Amino acid sequence: MTAFYPPRPAKQRPLAAIEIALNVGPPVLLGAALAALYAWARSGLEEHRRFLMPGWSDLWTGAFASEPVRAELFRAAGVTAQIALTGLAITIPIGMLLGVLMFRWRFAERAAFPYLVALQSIPILAIIPLIQSLLGFGFVPKVLIVALFTFFAIPTTLLLGLKSLDPGIIDLFRLQGASWRTTLLKAGLPASLPALFAGLRISAGLAVIGAIVSELFFVSGDGGLGQMLINTKIDFQYEQMYAALIVSSAMSIGVYLFFSWLGRRLFSSWHDAGEA
Amino acid sequence: MSEQATAPPPAADAAAPALSFADLSLTFADGTHALAGINLAVRPGEFVSILGPSGCGKSTLLRVAAGLVDYSAGALNVDRAHLGFTFQDATLLPWRTVRRNVELLLELRGAPPAERRRIAQEKIALVGLSGFEEHHPKQLSGGMKMRASLARSLTLDPKIFLFDEPFGALDEVTRERLNDELLALYARQGFTALFVTHSIAEAAYLSSRVVVMSARPGRIVAEFAAPFPYPRRDEIRYSADFARLSGEVSAALRAASAT
Ligand SMILES: Nc1ncnc2c1ncn2[C@@H]1O[C@H](COP(=O)(O)OP(=O)(O)OP(=O)(O)O)[C@@H](O)[C@H]1O
Ligand SMILES: [Mg+2]
Repeated sequence: MTAFYPPRPAKQRPLAAIEIALNVGPPVLLGAALAALYAWARSGLEEHRRFLMPGWSDLWTGAFASEPVRAELFRAAGVTAQIALTGLAITIPIGMLLGVLMFRWRFAERAAFPYLVALQSIPILAIIPLIQSLLGFGFVPKVLIVALFTFFAIPTTLLLGLKSLDPGIIDLFRLQGASWRTTLLKAGLPASLPALFAGLRISAGLAVIGAIVSELFFVSGDGGLGQMLINTKIDFQYEQMYAALIVSSAMSIGVYLFFSWLGRRLFSSWHDAGEA
Repeated sequence: MSEQATAPPPAADAAAPALSFADLSLTFADGTHALAGINLAVRPGEFVSILGPSGCGKSTLLRVAAGLVDYSAGALNVDRAHLGFTFQDATLLPWRTVRRNVELLLELRGAPPAERRRIAQEKIALVGLSGFEEHHPKQLSGGMKMRASLARSLTLDPKIFLFDEPFGALDEVTRERLNDELLALYARQGFTALFVTHSIAEAAYLSSRVVVMSARPGRIVAEFAAPFPYPRRDEIRYSADFARLSGEVSAALRAASAT
């Protein structure tokens, strides 16, 4: 039996406005649904516990609209960002160096890998008291905690990327008598950039989380967002606490987006994942 | 520069071979016996094709000649100073444009930027990729990638050119067109070629000599001269000699695969 299949014109590219709506629409809709859920949960609370979930207008007047709170949020975010970025500034080069060493020498990979996995499986929160006893309450222990949170993804993704290098390309370099270093710089590292950036995005998000967690345990000095979370809870200023939470998430998302953007700029012209 | 436009005559006399294997054997570390007593001498300017069953050691033989793999016994004589090698896939660096890919080998050899740029430009034009210099490999078709790969090898002005099934992944029409372009380059540059292929027609059309290898461990079991003068034109494909040569190679190949 034959059946008639009518011709179908190729799909037109949607209008720019529609395309934007298709991209922005779903998260906005989901956001609205979550806000509604929040309002519903809040209405279910007894009157005297409702301060636990401030309403949108309270959040605005009690936090974001108030100049001193804004200044405090800004300052605290700066402190947190400093801890997170210092941690990353240490783990990115060291992690990349370890990734390269593990690629160069099988025994380095064999030696280091179990400890990388162990590092990833230790609950970092559980060793924070130990870090406290060893290093006190200053800046250094906080950075160390960020480093523990962010390290794993960097050498592992870089190693994965280096191993994905086409063996034909290695042969090509060998035929010209290229040194191992030249091969690494001109072939290995560029080839592994997409994988490495996937790792950097993960680590950057974890760096903000690590910085905030570290502050929850080390309430001292001019604190960052983590300390603000604790202090506002003690003072029953829940609007400010929610504001600190929102700024924390915004920072996490911000660094994630930054590394996505940077990756896209660096390799969208040649790598498919760069377009994602 | 090799600008002679005449066909390089295969030297019939006993000139020293450009590339020779004498009783060359290779057993890999895992015990795979890949090559068993290869005897082959390629004269300067000769174009030799190698056919053989899959896995018989053809790629390995080229890799031995290039120094990418060590052999276990016998002897190898080759001048590696001007060695060209094209792989089965184009092996372009995906993050580099066509121009920067073609410049790569000279860059690795430390040629100054202006010079390697000039040479790359020239070879890109030679393989018909002008206008695509700033394209990335992912924007090219399979045939164009292979051309870029060829242009890259040509930048070294190879005296000896090793080809590992360079056109194996292409459609018949593109393959035949690239065959003609390769013959034009051969006439122009006058290199010595060792060309691995699975296509009998390609081997017969391109080469002055066709050798057939046995199943692994690879040995050379048959040799045929291709009695067509260069420069060759498409008409020879329809000649009786071409049909006879193809038939003989095909029979040898079937016999080699059966063992
Ligand atoms: N590094 C290696 N170690 C061990 N065995 C190898 C290695 N490289 C190749 N071989 C083996 O050597 C044999 C010959 O391989 P080769 O790639 O030379 O075959 P080929 O003739 O090029 O085949 P094809 O026509 O399919 O390309 C195969 O059995 C292969 O598995
Ligand atoms: Mg092969």
